[in-house]
Amino acid sequence: MATGQTDAPAGGDPGLVGAGTAARPATGPKGAGGGVRPPGRGRPGWVQVVARGGVLVALLLVIVAFGIARPDTFLTTNNLNAILQQAAAPAILAIGLTVPLALGEFDLSIGAMVGLGGASALALITLHGVAWPVAVLLALGIGLLVGLVNGVFIAYLGASSFVQTLAMGVILLGVEYLFTNQQTLFSGVPQGYKDLGQSDAILGVNIQIWLALLVAVLMYLFLEQTETGRRIYAVGGNPDAARFAGVSVKRLRVLGFVIVAVAAVITGILITAQGGSSQPNAGVPFLLPAYAAAFLGSATFRPGTFNVPGTVVAVLFLGVIQTGLQMLQIATAWINIIQGVVLIAAMLISRLERKHA
Amino acid sequence: MSTAAAPRAGVPVIEVRGLRKTYPGVLAVDDASFSVAPGEVLGLVGKNGAGKSTVIKMLAGLVTPDEGEILVDGEPTVLASSHAASVLGISVVHQELALVPRGSVAENVFLGLPYPRRAGLFVDWSALHRKAGAVLARLGLEVDPRASVDGLSVAQQRMVMIARCLAWDARVVVLDEPTASLTDDEISHLLEVLRQLADAGVAIVYVSHRLEEVLGATDRVVVMRDGSVVADLVTATLTKQTLVAGITGEAKADESQTVHVDRAGRPPGAELLRVTGLTRAPALHGVDLTLREGEVLGLAGLVGAGRTELARVLFGVDAPDSGTITVRGKDVVLRSPRAAMKERIALLPEDRRHQGNDTARSIRENTSLPTLRRHRGVSWLPRPSAARERAVSEEMVGRLGIKARDTEVAVGTLSGGNQQKVVLAKWLVHGADVFVFDEPTAGIDVEGKADVYGIVGELADQGKAVLFISSDLPELAAVSDRVVVLREGRVVAELTGSQVSESQILHHCYGGADAASA
Ligand SMILES: Nc1ncnc2c1ncn2[C@@H]1O[C@H](COP(=O)(O)OP(=O)(O)OP(=O)(O)O)[C@@H](O)[C@H]1O
Ligand SMILES: [Mg+2]
Repeated sequence: MATGQTDAPAGGDPGLVGAGTAARPATGPKGAGGGVRPPGRGRPGWVQVVARGGVLVALLLVIVAFGIARPDTFLTTNNLNAILQQAAAPAILAIGLTVPLALGEFDLSIGAMVGLGGASALALITLHGVAWPVAVLLALGIGLLVGLVNGVFIAYLGASSFVQTLAMGVILLGVEYLFTNQQTLFSGVPQGYKDLGQSDAILGVNIQIWLALLVAVLMYLFLEQTETGRRIYAVGGNPDAARFAGVSVKRLRVLGFVIVAVAAVITGILITAQGGSSQPNAGVPFLLPAYAAAFLGSATFRPGTFNVPGTVVAVLFLGVIQTGLQMLQIATAWINIIQGVVLIAAMLISRLERKHA
Repeated sequence: MSTAAAPRAGVPVIEVRGLRKTYPGVLAVDDASFSVAPGEVLGLVGKNGAGKSTVIKMLAGLVTPDEGEILVDGEPTVLASSHAASVLGISVVHQELALVPRGSVAENVFLGLPYPRRAGLFVDWSALHRKAGAVLARLGLEVDPRASVDGLSVAQQRMVMIARCLAWDARVVVLDEPTASLTDDEISHLLEVLRQLADAGVAIVYVSHRLEEVLGATDRVVVMRDGSVVADLVTATLTKQTLVAGITGEAKADESQTVHVDRAGRPPGAELLRVTGLTRAPALHGVDLTLREGEVLGLAGLVGAGRTELARVLFGVDAPDSGTITVRGKDVVLRSPRAAMKERIALLPEDRRHQGNDTARSIRENTSLPTLRRHRGVSWLPRPSAARERAVSEEMVGRLGIKARDTEVAVGTLSGGNQQKVVLAKWLVHGADVFVFDEPTAGIDVEGKADVYGIVGELADQGKAVLFISSDLPELAAVSDRVVVLREGRVVAELTGSQVSESQILHHCYGGADAASA
């Protein structure tokens, strides 16, 4: 193909055009996207398929595997219902967390926010005699406020999100103790409140599952189908370019912190409603699983991008292995180790795909 | 190590044979063969997306060729990483800037090299700064080696990258569009340094869309078209016309070889924008200017004169310390780009990489970002319709000749010039009354430049005002109706009518003193 190329340049021949056209007959004058070929070699299609659908495929595989291993207990409606119910509240937190992560921010106060959300509602009801719907609204209001403070301090006053949200987490834990005196609250919780976590009035399916589904659908539509969602991803991709395109970067950042804080309160309320009680410092264990799910989810469907469907599948996946391994009577230590390994493996697969993209 | 290997007489220090590289759906490089000898300056030219940068990435060890081989000193060599290439004495300045943000100038210059040490342990910072200062001085770059690179202009950052090449003592220096957005002064400094390097036996590969420069500075020119090397000729035998013809593959190259703007030539209309006493330390000191409908106002000045800073203030990115901005007779305070856009001001930023695109997203999504609201499928539902966005961005791809498989490909996979065109597309879709174009043709090929001039002319004919910033003086002189020259943050001259010429602009850029030599 190397026609028209002369290694020892012949002097005085300005015939570039002739040489060029001989080498490659008339392509369009411009923009013709010269040389469209089928995808490059060396990257089998299955890598892409596995990477895109990775966690979903893995989820189906583990369901089948546990189904075979424990046919009479695992694949029962009861058990699947229980898995879904257990996953519902953490799923809401992880979905909420997807928003700041998509913006390129993170929030370490969400664990403490889960604790304060549930504890404040319960404390208002049991210690201060507030009607439960009002208590729920007040708790959500606290979440809103905390999100605003985090967001404004970080986006407008330039606080580092690491320090700000870490410190906020400590503060929130303190506030929780102020509310509860570090007591377990359980007496005098009205049935109406408990129903928020326990009712299965709709088709016999637990209300938490319905709520999680609702939150997932709404947040999916919000992030992927609305103008604001597109701007959120634009900020996460290149904040300067987004600002130069007229996006209100700071406002969106605040919005992200508000959304995750409110999601954390909802999670906290569902947990206390389900148990009819509130233990001190119950929220912090929710922090890491939420990040795990969001990151695992970012390896799925849209590799490299935090996305709601991915997060949901990841929560389910982590929940299923947890329950399945428990059923197989594997020691908790090993369950932890297996979950960690799975997380790292998923991350690697998505990196692999991204590199090739 | 690398410098020790003496070149064998007659053996090219680098030779590439039949290089080929495909990306999914794109043939980036089809068949590239050429060589460069010690002491030779080789120009590498071609349209946007011709495959130049991809070839260079292969030489830098960043991209592995699918086929073909690279010979270093006549030996087939696998360049497995950029480190491997550096060790062999190949030093590359890439088209997209790659400095360590927040690092100092000196640290960036000596990145990857052993730092001078005290007692063999502690970094000898003053020696490092002194050495860096010496390298910078060779390039005529007046920046403090201790300064953070974040504070530098794009042009200065590029010079720092070039300084890094010098510090490496390379045998082969590859420069991918080093002069985009540099001013004449810096360019001539750079070319001088390159000539000195070549005289000392260094082989140089030089990519540029500024063809005068290529003709003036190189010994030989390799032309790439659609991924293949289509010509390899001695520079002395070339004219700009034949070079343009070779690049575009069209015999009639007359319109694109000289900068030429078709304009209806209507007199400018009402005043759109007025700036009075605009000050922002340390860049701007009491700038006054006006911009009228249907007018192209050129903004000239050396790097550091305050051109980009002025553009940023006009677009609400930076707040002025004092002074007023008046839009259509009304004083405005522009607190953000959004506020500026509401006043129908648009900015095409100079720093494409950081301020231009979200490179992980598609052409469609980038193009429609400022105008999302307009692409609704249903007017009351805030949901962009992908089909509408696609229609708009496809129109732009056609109009600007963006070379891409389709509008769904990530902008990051486009060639440098095509990425620049996507930024332009975004603002053409958005529309504005005042367009601020900061180095709009940086990295754009001959045809693309002609398109940009055409667009600027069209906008003016539609009654828009264009503030055109460019370091390319022939272009600035040809495109502008009027030129304002900035020096050290002050307006030092306003040129109108027949005064708008390259030599006049140059004269005022240097403060009139160098007029004789200009
Ligand atoms: N990582 C990638 N993935 C997909 N396509 C790519 C990638 N890198 C380059 N390409 C494609 O390869 C072609 C050649 O690109 P290249 O950057 O080499 O062009 P160039 O000659 O340097 O152009 P310019 O003058 O605009 O800088 C382009 O069509 C580009 O879209
Ligand atoms: Mg390039």
